[in-house]
Amino acid sequence: MKIVGVAACTVGIAHTYIAQEKLENAAKKAGHEIQVETQGTIGIENALTPEQIAAADIVILAIDVKISGRERFEGKRIIQVPTEVAVKSPNKLIEKAVEVVEQQPIV
Amino acid sequence: METIKKLNLKGHLLTAISYLIPIVCGAGFLIAIGMAFGGTAQGTLIQGKFDFFDGLATMGGAALGLLPVVIATGISYSIAGKPGIAPGFIIGLTANAIGAGFIGGILGGYLAGYLVFAILKYIKVPNWAKGLMPTLIIPFIASMVGGLIMVYVIGMPVAAFTTLLTNFLDGLGNSSLLIFGGVIGLLSGVDYGGPINKTVFAFVLTMQAEGVNGPITALQLVNTATPIGFGLAYFVAKLFGKNIYSKVEVETLKSAVPMGVINIVEGVIPLVMNDIVRGVVATAIGGFVGGATTMILGADATVPFGGVLMLPTMSKPWAGVIAILVNVVVTAVVLAVIKKDVKEEEPEVIAEKEEAEINLEDIQIF
Repeated sequence: MKIVGVAACTVGIAHTYIAQEKLENAAKKAGHEIQVETQGTIGIENALTPEQIAAADIVILAIDVKISGRERFEGKRIIQVPTEVAVKSPNKLIEKAVEVVEQQPIV
Repeated sequence: METIKKLNLKGHLLTAISYLIPIVCGAGFLIAIGMAFGGTAQGTLIQGKFDFFDGLATMGGAALGLLPVVIATGISYSIAGKPGIAPGFIIGLTANAIGAGFIGGILGGYLAGYLVFAILKYIKVPNWAKGLMPTLIIPFIASMVGGLIMVYVIGMPVAAFTTLLTNFLDGLGNSSLLIFGGVIGLLSGVDYGGPINKTVFAFVLTMQAEGVNGPITALQLVNTATPIGFGLAYFVAKLFGKNIYSKVEVETLKSAVPMGVINIVEGVIPLVMNDIVRGVVATAIGGFVGGATTMILGADATVPFGGVLMLPTMSKPWAGVIAILVNVVVTAVVLAVIKKDVKEEEPEVIAEKEEAEINLEDIQIF
């Protein structure tokens, strides 16, 4: 499965990057392809390309604040959670994402 | 409840705070350094009548005085996107003008944002007028309606309420101060710069805007002391012949402690993540004691950020020093006592811990 995501927390210097790392590790461990873009105080890093977004089966947004470029994900299956969930339960979150994709595949 | 949750009031506030924080940091350092060297923040800098440090303090003061505007603009932007910026800005300035301060700014931001949102949703214009929407209709109508509500409806009660709150806090006795400071310290410590910390921050910043400096001092001194406490814990534990951190963690501390000195608590998060319960317990106990000490001794920084740089702006800098020291020592000792011994050569592979069940309410699927 291909996953793309965005992580963004309030201050944008710590939780954002922890959420990114946890999500990437959890997804890779479960055998998925993943890239997580970070929108910290420094700006956008590890940006997603339009091709990656188009190819993704699901979008995971681990965000506490409004993100820029949300319209890029229009029409995709999106799971949105606070960063806290991605930090505390990354593996369960990935499992949940798989469930969502299997239940409601994008036509 | 469902609709309230849908409005996502807290999310909009957090977004605004994420824009606010760099401004508070930049301006906070400017005013802290300026005032530490004898400068004062002035309304206008008159040629030949100010020195370098007056200049710094004035820059910082000017920016901090506009925080209600920043918070209003941020909230409005979060709700309505780009069209929300102009009305948020204007209504925020209105809140400042009528003395409704930070609370007024927050309310004004919601007001501006939802007005713009409503206009976008319900007012349909013919094609030839499309260009008027973002240039005239939204900025003018939303600002006028929101601004008038601010002036004639919200402004006075909010100004009265903030005065009431200020007087109430000024009149608190010692035992209430202890509890109040303790609770602020505890709340600011428990999530290391996360959402709880920032919500408390918005609250105490409001109070500082009204001239009550104790609560924000308590919050920031706890943020400052916590990472230093984690560092000191290493040495305290060594005294009992205990080694509480792995090699990687000690490396993390080398940057976390200096960051803590200048008020950035987030550096210790990786350490806490490895041992959440013990880390939070030590931080909470230390934070409670530190916050209470701050309020009892009356440490009162006039700047909302800066860590040790806040000390020179206090009327009693020693009170701040004592509060930090007490907090650092308590956190360190508690950590040293409750953390488990780590064997020097223990491999870094930590067994996968049982994860918390995801609360389904936290997930939104689109």
